Amino acid sequence: MTTILIDSPVANVANIAHALRASGAALDVTRDPQAIARASKLVLPGVGSFAAAMRWLEETRIDSAIRDAVASGAFLLGICVGHQLLFDVSSEMGTTRGLGLIRGSVSRFEGTLPIPQIGWNRVRARGALFDGVDGEAFYFVNSYAARNVQDEIASADYNGPFTAAVQRERVFGVQFHPEKSSGAGLRVLRNFVACN
Amino acid sequence: MQLIPSLDLLHGRVVRLTHGDFATPTFYGDPEAVLESLDVPRGARLHVVDLEASRSGRPIETEIVRRLALRDLVVQVGGGIRSLDDARRWLDCGAERVVVGTVAANSPALLASLVETFGPERIVPAVDVRDGVIRVDGWERASTASLADVFARLESLQIPEALVTDIARDGALRGPSFALYRQLRALTRVKLIASGGVSTPGDVVSLSRLGNVSGCVIGKALLEGRIRLADVPLSNTIPERVIPCLDVRGGRVVKGVSFENIRDAGDPVECAVRYEAEGADELVILDIDGGTDRDTIRRVADAIFIPLTVGGGVRSLDDFRDMLRAGADRVAINTAALSRPELIRECAEEFGVQAVVLSCDSKGGFAAVRGGRELTDVDTVEWCRRAEALGAGEILLTSVDRDGTNSGFDLELLRAVTNAVKIGVIASGGAGRVEDFRDAIESGGARAVLAASLFHDRVLTVGDVKRHLAAEGIPIR
Repeated sequence: MTTILIDSPVANVANIAHALRASGAALDVTRDPQAIARASKLVLPGVGSFAAAMRWLEETRIDSAIRDAVASGAFLLGICVGHQLLFDVSSEMGTTRGLGLIRGSVSRFEGTLPIPQIGWNRVRARGALFDGVDGEAFYFVNSYAARNVQDEIASADYNGPFTAAVQRERVFGVQFHPEKSSGAGLRVLRNFVACN
Repeated sequence: MQLIPSLDLLHGRVVRLTHGDFATPTFYGDPEAVLESLDVPRGARLHVVDLEASRSGRPIETEIVRRLALRDLVVQVGGGIRSLDDARRWLDCGAERVVVGTVAANSPALLASLVETFGPERIVPAVDVRDGVIRVDGWERASTASLADVFARLESLQIPEALVTDIARDGALRGPSFALYRQLRALTRVKLIASGGVSTPGDVVSLSRLGNVSGCVIGKALLEGRIRLADVPLSNTIPERVIPCLDVRGGRVVKGVSFENIRDAGDPVECAVRYEAEGADELVILDIDGGTDRDTIRRVADAIFIPLTVGGGVRSLDDFRDMLRAGADRVAINTAALSRPELIRECAEEFGVQAVVLSCDSKGGFAAVRGGRELTDVDTVEWCRRAEALGAGEILLTSVDRDGTNSGFDLELLRAVTNAVKIGVIASGGAGRVEDFRDAIESGGARAVLAASLFHDRVLTVGDVKRHLAAEGIPIR
């Protein structure tokens, strides 16, 4: 099954492509909405601001292409801001609507630890995406996170608990950077590539 | 881990003495007003020392202790307690526990009868130590009893907790004496209340990681507003990072002492792959020629799956963008930022705070540029503080004085910078032994530790360092 990596301009797509290939994916990197709508397996990367990423998805109509693909049964993995885009809404720079594929909202960390979180953090996880890597540490770079959401499959603590990964049917999201999380990250990508 | 605010009382007021000297008191006012201003929560433990009583041997400030005990605080009182009657006076005033110093070291019979009369939980022996020797009678005399003797006695009396002060650290804000508490961990099961030198939230976290410290007395740092109780995390399980550094010139790894006597040390891709396999949490590549070697970065980025920070010769937004495009996750800026600090803000706005690392080379307390070869008149601590305000996400702090010497990180410099900023600091320059990495995190407050030649020459592996950190209670991934 070919994996389509959405060639978002706000992400370091090359590193994710490299890690997906190392995890056994047959990969196409594209920003063609039609190819994305037809995909059976999609990866949505993202770094930087939620609002800018969402605006780009809307302008390119990739937002509806992603929704179409998911409606036709595609697997989807959102990474970092790509994970945040799956939710209904983010409070980054006012209120910005997301793709609405996962119920819940994304908001800024508050507390004594420095923001953004930059570094490794240990994750408590369950489910097929984390097969073989429950309790491992992953690499995070984020100022915002979802908390306490219904579809949470992994959590970690930073100024209190936050959602490290979600799954709703075939839609997955990971707040960390699997492409920067060494063996544990590659294992998560391999688990996603192996989904069918 | 319990935080125990400490109030020393003299003439009915809160006071601080430095090194126990009555000639240099600093007064802070009425005890209850001080407690309000410190936001001490209900139910908190409070450490009260009656200084006049410690001199005269008679309880003086009993009315204050009575008032404090009525405020829903768990009060422990010390100062000149040398008899059952003294202890009873304080306990009758509402104190939960009494702190006994001289008695614990010098009067085993009295200590035993205090425990027998009031119970071991209500007696807190205070052990004041200077240079490994117990001091008694207001620190003026050395005790004949050794640490081992005294703690064996406490264990046999089933006393659960002792207050241990390193006198040299008290009131000096230089950080607690981790070495002393570690030494006692090997000696006794008695839990310790650490006292003396605690001056940052990081100190509290580091004490909690020792495993045998159950509480921590905070005095001066609290009174001077250096620590707010609400800001102190009682533990921190976020993994600390071990980062090998590749100093690169012309596509090859090189290493010199204090940036001089450069020698060739291998292929960057081979090194990078080996370091990831050994458990490196991140990799730093610094181009020491100040040229931005995109090809080397691309080749390394394609070979590893851990974060990559790149520095050397980044002078503009375009240089910064080039490094990210070549595969760097974060970019370190140094000389160009000192020439034009606004570059930090521009990069943070364009690429995000998380991508911007300030690389600060420090020599004798001042920032150095051009690979440590030129000194500026910019104070290191002030520069780091300013870089944080401008939008740096982390600071890579290299001691040029220590670099390549294997004599240990510059802990004083690290403490000065980590106390001044909230963002993470990567300690660099001087690592020689596994304990140096521990000290940089524990005592220096660093969130990551970096070394180049040590790992490159295989004196230590990344794995050696991480195993040592884990054994010392420091979380790693």
